[in-house]
Amino acid sequence: MTKNIIDKKTLEHLAGLSRIELKPGKEEKLLKDMEDILTYFDELKEVNTDNIEPMAGGVIQKNIFRDDETSDKRQATSDKLIEQFPEKENGFLKVPGVFADEV
Amino acid sequence: MELQDLTIKKFHQGLIDKKFSATEVAKAFFDYIEEKDEKIGAYLRLTKDLAIDQAKQVDIDVAADKKINILAGAPLAIKDNILIEGGPTTAASKILENYRASYDATVIKKLKEVGAVFLGKTNLDEFAMGASTENSAFKITKNPHDLERVAGGSSGGSAASVAANMAVAALGSDTGGSIRQPASFCGIVGLKPTYGAVSRLGLVAMASSLDQIGSMAKTVEDAAILFKAIAGEDEFDSTSVDTKYGDELLNPDFNAVKKLKIGIPKEYFIAEGLDKNIAKAVEEAIDGLKSLGFEFKEISLPRTKYAVSVYYIIMPAEVSANLARFDGIRYGQMSNVNGQKLNLKDIYLKTRGDGFGDEVKRRIILGTFVLSAGYYDAYYTKAQKVRQLIKNDFNEAFKEVDVILTPVYPTSAFKIGEKIDDPLKMYLGDIFTIPANLAGLPAISIPVKQTTNLPVGFQLIGKPFREADILGIGQYYESGPDRI
Repeated sequence: MTKNIIDKKTLEHLAGLSRIELKPGKEEKLLKDMEDILTYFDELKEVNTDNIEPMAGGVIQKNIFRDDETSDKRQATSDKLIEQFPEKENGFLKVPGVFADEV
Repeated sequence: MELQDLTIKKFHQGLIDKKFSATEVAKAFFDYIEEKDEKIGAYLRLTKDLAIDQAKQVDIDVAADKKINILAGAPLAIKDNILIEGGPTTAASKILENYRASYDATVIKKLKEVGAVFLGKTNLDEFAMGASTENSAFKITKNPHDLERVAGGSSGGSAASVAANMAVAALGSDTGGSIRQPASFCGIVGLKPTYGAVSRLGLVAMASSLDQIGSMAKTVEDAAILFKAIAGEDEFDSTSVDTKYGDELLNPDFNAVKKLKIGIPKEYFIAEGLDKNIAKAVEEAIDGLKSLGFEFKEISLPRTKYAVSVYYIIMPAEVSANLARFDGIRYGQMSNVNGQKLNLKDIYLKTRGDGFGDEVKRRIILGTFVLSAGYYDAYYTKAQKVRQLIKNDFNEAFKEVDVILTPVYPTSAFKIGEKIDDPLKMYLGDIFTIPANLAGLPAISIPVKQTTNLPVGFQLIGKPFREADILGIGQYYESGPDRI
């Protein structure tokens, strides 16, 4: 039997990195689906990509510059953006302590 | 007034001939939707107040004999991953259930300026991830032609709304086929524009190098009208391009269109899983175009078979980055997180664990994997290189032909539940639509003229920013030689 590309421990690590709590009973199906999909990707190994530059996307490849200044064109909506914050104080986003273990 | 007969074109004529008012039509649509949509499930919610306000303004202009835009008053459906200020935009995800859009997407802003009417927001696979709308957190959209079958996806709600005469036309988004496949399943026209032709500002991002907003309509002509209205450069989407589409989109010169050479890529017709009925339907479309005088040539796109692998590496990689923003901190928080004294990491874990559905989680985790140290080159970089080769194949092909004709999907609409438990099987169906997204090319699904019970579309893929070619051939095909 060939070695699996991904095991349970790796899956849990990836879920943690993705900040996704996995539900009990869902892990095995997810692991099997991931394994099937990753195995399918093996076909790419047969493609010769020597001297080929990776394509990041888009049709017109050019860099876009703009002056590093704030634009007031969208300022009108900043209050509306803040309205969507679940918790706020004086127009600031309220977040629990990043390094705090306890609240 | 018969709703089923209304196209954008016919609606506009009726409106300026004062056969009906925009408000009357909007109200008639709402009555019809309330009667019909219970069975189909195309809409997630209606935007009645907004629609009536928009329609009334158009009626004021008509009464004053002001010149109105061809889209003024036209009742449209909008996929619920496109922001309309002030109302919910959920992307069919529980995680955005409490979110209210803070601004209009650029496409919405443009359509408001020409007086279009928005009837409501349509169902989709959660965050546009899926090919059947079965991944919606709220409901499954049924195919109006057969309620046991899927409408396709991810823009299944938009496709079904148009096919069932619950909207005159609709906006969808297409990352790997999400406009064209549901259009094919529901028997309507769906256009995915060239990458960069339409601003993505205000589209809930899925995979930013692939996403495009496009038009879904009953006729190619309507798809062209709606596309022209939303296209154009936007300073808030740096990938958008100043394309200067001319009059040829709406008034094609059919004598010039007829001279376009159409390529048939042999790889698309020997693909595993291509249903023989689909192959036959596409042959019929080819014969129809031949009888109109089009010249065909067999071409080769040798790297087609790798498109699914390339897409399902690149897309999840971009998904994992784009969906990091849904953390329960900045947007509508999950109600079950409120009030629990959780630390920051647990808020993330719980919000995302409860708020995302299975397919979204699978893609985020898959994306995290292909981008992780040790696998990045083997998967992500490799896929980007093969993406370049797929693009190169198109570049070569377009030296010989102007337009490429292919199937849209290997089968017609499948049964609800048929594929949902097997993601790989679901992914493999995207083989014919994905290449246009990877290469950034415009592509359209057009219903084959035929009499069997389930609709089938064929696909035309054009050169970058040559929507006029595929729309021109499509308009000629749908209206026949009498157009010249």
